[in-house]
Amino acid sequence: MLSLLDIAERTQKGPKINENAWNMGLFRKMNELTEKYQLHYPKDNPVFNCDDNLADRAFQAAVDFLVETGIYCISTGRIIQLTRNEVLNTIKGMPKQVTIGEGKDARVLKQRRLEEKEELNHCPGHHAPFTEELAPLVVKNFAEIPTADYIEGINFPVVDGREIFGLPMEVYAGKREATWMRQGVAKAGRPGMAIAYYPINTRAAVMLAPINREVGLRPSDGILLSVLPDVKVEQDYLTTAIVWEEYGGFKLNGNGAGYVGGFCGGLGGAIIEAIVAILTGWIVYRDIASWGGIFSSSAYASSKEIPVNSTDVWASSVWAQALHRHTNYIIFMATGSHSGPGCENQLLELAYRAISIPINGTNVYISRQFRARMNASQSPLEQEWLYEVAAAVMHSDVNRQSAGDLVMKIGEKLRGKVIEAPYHDIREFYDLAQHRPLPDYEKVYLKVKEEISALGLNFD
Amino acid sequence: MTNEETKKIALDSLKDAILNYDTEEAQKAAQAIVDQGVDPKVAINEAVLGASTTLHERFERGECFIPHLVMAGDAMEAAGKVLESAIPKEQITSKKVVVIGTVEADLHSVGKNIVAMFFRSGGFEVHDMGVNVKAGSFISKAVDTNADIIALSSLLTTTRPYMREVIEEMESVGVRDKFKVIVGGGPITPEWAEEIGADGYGTDAYEGIEVAKKLLGIS
Amino acid sequence: MISLLDIAERTQKGRKMPEDAWNMSLFRKISELVKRYEIPNYTKDTPFLNLDDDLPERAFHAGVDLLVEHGVYCITTGRVVELSRDEVLGVVRESPKEILVGTGKDARVMKQRKVEGKEPLNFCPGHHTPFTQDLAPIVVKNFAQIPRTDFIEGFNFTEVDGHEIFGAPIEAYASRRQVSWMREGVRKAGRPGLSIVLYPITTRAEVLTAAIDPVDGLRSGDGILTSVLPDEKIEHDLLATAIAGEDCGLWRISGSFSMVGGFCGGADGAIVEGIAKPLTAMICYRAFVNYTGVENVSTVSALSIPLQPLNWARSVVNQTLNRFTNTICMAWIIPTSGPGTESNLLEVAFRTIEATINGANLYAPRHSRARMNAGQTPVEAEFMVEVSDATLAAGLDRQRGGELLSRLTQKLEGRQPEPGFTIQECYDLVNHRPSPDYERIHQQVKEQLTELGLVFP
Repeated sequence: MLSLLDIAERTQKGPKINENAWNMGLFRKMNELTEKYQLHYPKDNPVFNCDDNLADRAFQAAVDFLVETGIYCISTGRIIQLTRNEVLNTIKGMPKQVTIGEGKDARVLKQRRLEEKEELNHCPGHHAPFTEELAPLVVKNFAEIPTADYIEGINFPVVDGREIFGLPMEVYAGKREATWMRQGVAKAGRPGMAIAYYPINTRAAVMLAPINREVGLRPSDGILLSVLPDVKVEQDYLTTAIVWEEYGGFKLNGNGAGYVGGFCGGLGGAIIEAIVAILTGWIVYRDIASWGGIFSSSAYASSKEIPVNSTDVWASSVWAQALHRHTNYIIFMATGSHSGPGCENQLLELAYRAISIPINGTNVYISRQFRARMNASQSPLEQEWLYEVAAAVMHSDVNRQSAGDLVMKIGEKLRGKVIEAPYHDIREFYDLAQHRPLPDYEKVYLKVKEEISALGLNFD
Repeated sequence: MTNEETKKIALDSLKDAILNYDTEEAQKAAQAIVDQGVDPKVAINEAVLGASTTLHERFERGECFIPHLVMAGDAMEAAGKVLESAIPKEQITSKKVVVIGTVEADLHSVGKNIVAMFFRSGGFEVHDMGVNVKAGSFISKAVDTNADIIALSSLLTTTRPYMREVIEEMESVGVRDKFKVIVGGGPITPEWAEEIGADGYGTDAYEGIEVAKKLLGIS
Repeated sequence: MISLLDIAERTQKGRKMPEDAWNMSLFRKISELVKRYEIPNYTKDTPFLNLDDDLPERAFHAGVDLLVEHGVYCITTGRVVELSRDEVLGVVRESPKEILVGTGKDARVMKQRKVEGKEPLNFCPGHHTPFTQDLAPIVVKNFAQIPRTDFIEGFNFTEVDGHEIFGAPIEAYASRRQVSWMREGVRKAGRPGLSIVLYPITTRAEVLTAAIDPVDGLRSGDGILTSVLPDEKIEHDLLATAIAGEDCGLWRISGSFSMVGGFCGGADGAIVEGIAKPLTAMICYRAFVNYTGVENVSTVSALSIPLQPLNWARSVVNQTLNRFTNTICMAWIIPTSGPGTESNLLEVAFRTIEATINGANLYAPRHSRARMNAGQTPVEAEFMVEVSDATLAAGLDRQRGGELLSRLTQKLEGRQPEPGFTIQECYDLVNHRPSPDYERIHQQVKEQLTELGLVFP
């Protein structure tokens, strides 16, 4: 298996190419592989992929990409080249399950099987910005969710009353984030719960700063080290990966995704890129799990209507199936919403995405609003709702066929609806002291639950 | 007084002004040289560059310091502008340009500062990039300023490879032949300079300047 | 005491100034302070060790005024960090006079010494020099075995696990390896709790902080080198490292000597900067241990053996710091000749006698232009302790010490620096002893020093 030092060396010695040339080269290669492996959306318009052979071909395309094109290091402008043997051998080393956290709060993250009823792994929050005075209480609320296996950190602009600006202050803030997370999980009665550090920023010194066995991140904790779009990596992340590897912490890829309309091209290219991103995260950073899926870039450009796109659902299922059939990888489904918390649209959006989770053999990841706002991107309720729906799908004997119908029905409810974000602060719709939604929000939740239940999901 | 004596007084005045770090006096002395019809090229070679030699000797003896070299450099530059204005454009030999800095991930600066000052007071146009300078930055600056020399300093054994990176980067962007590269610093040896393909190496500031001049074919 | 976050904020919000403007302004300010406080110029009659007891107080005020009236410069942001008199004097007052380093039975107290004091000095025997990785743990073991060692500093190397150390990722890995080899070396020496100070592989913050790990890396009681740069400059990677280290219980040490001929000017200006720099280190990095004094470019480039006026200037700086601040001063002994030579030992002796009388502790004697595996051996370090003890035993004060140094100078005059030998050529690392030739040189030098008046047991 390739070592991280081998990778580091190749970032310094690989062939040079400028970034624009890499991007266009990637586009051409993705197109070529899409054609070679015939990765097109089937004529019968399925919602979930039922063609195992297509999933296999998608995986082969991803391996070909790595072998024939490589991975780009933006810090040095060089390509990390890999042989087929190296790629396949390194992939074999992926763990099927990883223990995180410690003591009674230790949990096992594992690869789940497609369409199966095994327990879901769950990361409820945050990856979102909260102000420092709210931090430990917010963390406590999310850590109190009983199904939570680990929790991700928060971002904030001010620490100890000072603007976080400049490396020294960022390092300090990084340490403080870890301390608040630690306090929050302890207050929730889960002191050993694994914390995954969410970078204040991506400088290596800032990502290493929170390492502290007593009050910061422990070897049973983790960190987010993401592959960048367009199959790119970078040295601050790699430095952090090398140190964390030795320290014993786990690493997570926050971008096992493909973006239709980006440099990867169309749907086929996005599928390939999403698989490649997962493999790259493991090869270059030893990320043991990832969230991911396929998204349409145009959907992110929009700020008016909620985009509903079943081809993305199909493509995400191809991605997940390819990884399940050929690797041990642990995947979390990319979930989240365009609408903000506290409203019906958002809960519907989350329900729409939640269907895919168990069908694709994935786990439950953070449900926050895509365009995160300070103190207003998420509350525990949406996260509990996301989990509820995914669990209900498992308990309702839904398979790929019937799941497709469900997705279409919920999609119809969302079509034409406007993106809304009615609240500006979590305290307007959620009671952090009592760990429950305020009455108005609870009403909305119950209404949406009834609607979804009427589609055939068993919430009992 | 003979013409020769007048000329000598004028040249000595300029040299003294530089050695006294007096920019205003140096400008005046340069103007007087031009007004008297003394060949400005002779003034540059004898008075300006002659002062430079004296300054380096003084520095070696501990009689003057880096700031003095800076001030003398200012005076030389001011005088140089006046003298050059009296030289027909086609006869002006433009100054040789040096881009100098300490390589990436290294903060040491003392030796580099001295070399920079020596270059400046030796009549070079100097662009000091400071410390912790990435390879690309050296090259961009050299291209922008039409440099003749890139001078690299490193004081940690472990930052030496960044010197090699500058040269490799120069090759990859196709500018290797455009600039001479000289290297120096505590852990740097002639063998290292040769290994990485540098054009020259200096044990210290004095040697560095001589090597640079030799590479550029100037005495 | 002003906090490191205050400093961090001021590096972002202080007034902007281009670096060359700062440099010249520093020169003018120091020149003004030299005049204001009548810091004398060196003359040929100036003694080796300062005997003017009024001078340190004036020099102290000059150093404080430099900080208050001129500030400190952050090269990362190109901004001036301004400090009030209260803030500067606050740090002078509140910084500790002693700190505990290391853990368990190997913990030691680093202390400020008195000028002409009688107590044995604190001592760091090595390294701050490059060794290849195959030698690493055994070299560290040899140095850590020296009984009087209070802490030990790391070393540099060019390859790790077969990979060239190049690029932040491998540099960070190498940084961790450095400390793990140091840890292994001190354990093998039977001193598992000995304080280890990280020597930067490079000065990137992530490379410095990568080594922090209580199990196999730097832990509470260990230290890290965060030096103030020449000309009163600081920078963000080192400040970030200081902040990170603060949280983890790591103490900091700064290279805080000034350089004659630089932007501080001559020996008189170097005195002023030599006092301001440790104060800067304490304020901006919380580095309470500093290697202090005055050097010259020729010292660090090993072109010639430097003598006066550096000795006198160093003595003024150390006397000032010891009398008017709580700075724990270390004398960095950097002979211009390499190990295994008589010149090296004579230079070590010279600087050690000076340090002992000036009240500076003893730090890592290594060749000023260290080559791979040829920067130092345990002989020079042990010799440093021998000479220091002999100086104390001889009861030398500044007057007599200066006279002895003057006689010792004659042995050094006219010598040119010699490159010296690699550690394998002049030292037996297995049996922890010098080669017969080197031992002979060692004894000869001791005899010469005895003749001059030192009292070896």
